[in-house]
Amino acid sequence: MRRGPLLLCLGLALAPSVARGQARRTWGATPDPPPPVSTAPPEPPPATMGTPVPGSTALPPAPPVAEMATPIVRTPGAIGLKYTLEGVEVRGNKATRPRVVLRYVPFKAGDVLDVDDPELEQTRFRLLGTGFFRDVQLSLRRGTKRGSVILVVDVVERNTIVVDDVWLGISTDADGNGNQRPLTAYGGARVTETNLAGTGIALGGAFAVADGQLALRARLADPNFLRSSWILETEVLYSAARDFFGNHDVLVDDPSVDPSQSYFPDYAVASYKRFGGRVSAGHDLGVSSQIFLDYRLEKIDASLPLAASDHRGLDVEPIDFMLVRGSSILSAVRASFVNDTRDEPFLPTRGHRLLGSVDASLTPLGTDYPYTKLVLRGAQWFPLSWGHVLKLEGFAGAIFGDAPLFERFYVGDLTDLLPDRALDLAFDRRPAPNFLSTDIVEIRYGNYAAKVDAEYRVPLYRGARSIYGVDLFGSFGFYGLANEQDFYNPARGYKGFATWPIDLTFNAGLRIETQAGGFVFGISNLIGLIPVRGQQQGAVR
Amino acid sequence: MRGAAAFAVALLALVVVAPGVASAQQAPSAQQPAHPGALPPRLANYAWDGDLLRASFSYRDVLDPALMKKLSSGLPMVIAMRAYVYPEGQATPVALAPRVCRVVYDLWDEVYRVHVSEPERERDQAAVLDGVLRICTEARDLAVVRRGLLAAGQPYFLGVVVDVNPVSEGMVEQMRRWMSRPTGSTTIGPADALYGNFVQLFARQIATSDKTLTFRTQSVPL
Repeated sequence: MRRGPLLLCLGLALAPSVARGQARRTWGATPDPPPPVSTAPPEPPPATMGTPVPGSTALPPAPPVAEMATPIVRTPGAIGLKYTLEGVEVRGNKATRPRVVLRYVPFKAGDVLDVDDPELEQTRFRLLGTGFFRDVQLSLRRGTKRGSVILVVDVVERNTIVVDDVWLGISTDADGNGNQRPLTAYGGARVTETNLAGTGIALGGAFAVADGQLALRARLADPNFLRSSWILETEVLYSAARDFFGNHDVLVDDPSVDPSQSYFPDYAVASYKRFGGRVSAGHDLGVSSQIFLDYRLEKIDASLPLAASDHRGLDVEPIDFMLVRGSSILSAVRASFVNDTRDEPFLPTRGHRLLGSVDASLTPLGTDYPYTKLVLRGAQWFPLSWGHVLKLEGFAGAIFGDAPLFERFYVGDLTDLLPDRALDLAFDRRPAPNFLSTDIVEIRYGNYAAKVDAEYRVPLYRGARSIYGVDLFGSFGFYGLANEQDFYNPARGYKGFATWPIDLTFNAGLRIETQAGGFVFGISNLIGLIPVRGQQQGAVR
Repeated sequence: MRGAAAFAVALLALVVVAPGVASAQQAPSAQQPAHPGALPPRLANYAWDGDLLRASFSYRDVLDPALMKKLSSGLPMVIAMRAYVYPEGQATPVALAPRVCRVVYDLWDEVYRVHVSEPERERDQAAVLDGVLRICTEARDLAVVRRGLLAAGQPYFLGVVVDVNPVSEGMVEQMRRWMSRPTGSTTIGPADALYGNFVQLFARQIATSDKTLTFRTQSVPL
């Protein structure tokens, strides 16, 4: 309490010089420099109204303070400042070209700029959303004439090489002669330079490897093709793949198999190579929706057994490898639509995501695989009042015609207990786990597929630095996979409910969103390695 | 099958038990502090204006040098302060006193235009920098709560949250939607949902405000 008079004296002594200093700094082309910042919590201002609460005040009451400046009359809540925009200046960009930044700035010289225009804030977020910059700040500075300003866009660039996908796991496959092996490893990654030489063009590459299999992709995407609102993307692909058919007791006539080996291998192996490319054009349909149109052309060289058969129920039927022997051409167009209203991409709490696509591979396009493929997928996220999240998801697809096997619906993509395909490579030879003892075990690829599942997420951690969030999740669902014959001619030996090619799937683990991307650590892959009753194909025999 | 069945039971148990586990760890609402009593302490001056409790405190330190510089960017800055009234030892507030200050530097008139919204009044002012700091980062005689809402003999304190440039919920949603769009990939595959598209990485870097300051005041004896 004794410091009050001392401060008063000190204040009176210094007051003239302080006042001059403030007067000199206040008026001019640039605003006042900020005062020194103290790290200690500031003292509270004295109360000027009412009776101080006894024992609660830090400083004695002070007389009311007069307002410092004359109030101005304006619309309540609005600042109401408008300028004429003289130009836009981009600063801080070293690799990114100014025109790339200016694509996202919807203002141009001569515009009337309202400082309350929400487009100013949205411009900042748009630039952050490109992924090119770690920070973006907008400000104004005086123009050459009174009332005019220059919009200054300060950017801080970031590393633009990002990892989009990582695949790593173990599977059970077969060797080139069709003999099963216990466990093999597979892996792959997709990496993208999102701002190639500062042009805003994305250059990406991906690979996936497993024993005897390799897939490569190279992608180039321009999100503002020819400065238009269209996205143009091209991709080149190469795959040397193989796939496994049957289960343990196939009959194979394959001249490529070592004659010393048994003619009764565990699996029939189809080997094929793909080389081709894709051109895609996309366009925004509002904030949440996009449409894409694709064309792709591929040459396929398939090396198939001369003949092979496998059990289907109680019968022995020839194996359809779903590829044309020797060289063939795949020529197809695709239209796809995406509507995405999720609040967050990797750990969403609300919103939905809808995807629909139509593929057409028609003979007039020169294809050897005439087919049409329809896919619908939808997911809705629900925030629960106690902080958890529920997701409901549905998927349905149908193929009409003779699609190549890598376009068919694959059982591993539907169940969590088998590895998904990566870059169209199927790593695992096993059939569906078949918890429900149905004829799903007879089907590896199908023309009709559907799935419904629910996922329950428990947020465990939220951060703002390297790890953004960690959620515990558990999921449960049902799926079905069928071909035409499964509807009108079910596998003989199955009766009643067992003729429905459906099964359940589940998973549990952690979803982790990091600065390097989103990762899922689930236990389903390991659970899938545990044999279950009914997994054996033709179990009814 | 036995192992799978056991896992299914464990999974079911996890789903059933999880809500109880997580409600204890549940992140608090973004609208108010989670543990107000444990916030960093700060002094305030209290006064009774009839039966109305008024408080005066400062939060000048919410503006760091970078935000000070941004204050003169020529674009609006919002400093939103919320003072919750808590009974000592409890985490449920009984009253809320907000104060919003919107300030923009007028480049040609070389003055800061300030709009202040308080429960009792709204006002527009022109000020120099020191005036802006006084107007926007100090609560002077803030009308907090009527005595009738407070229990006699119970000490109360203020849990204060100050946000600089809070982004509205609508804006957050719209921008996150913007950022969650695919970057041109047309792939629609079952594995798509597993890994984040690179654009997704930036969703969380857009915080809900430029800076947030929280503190509690000393108790008010009744």
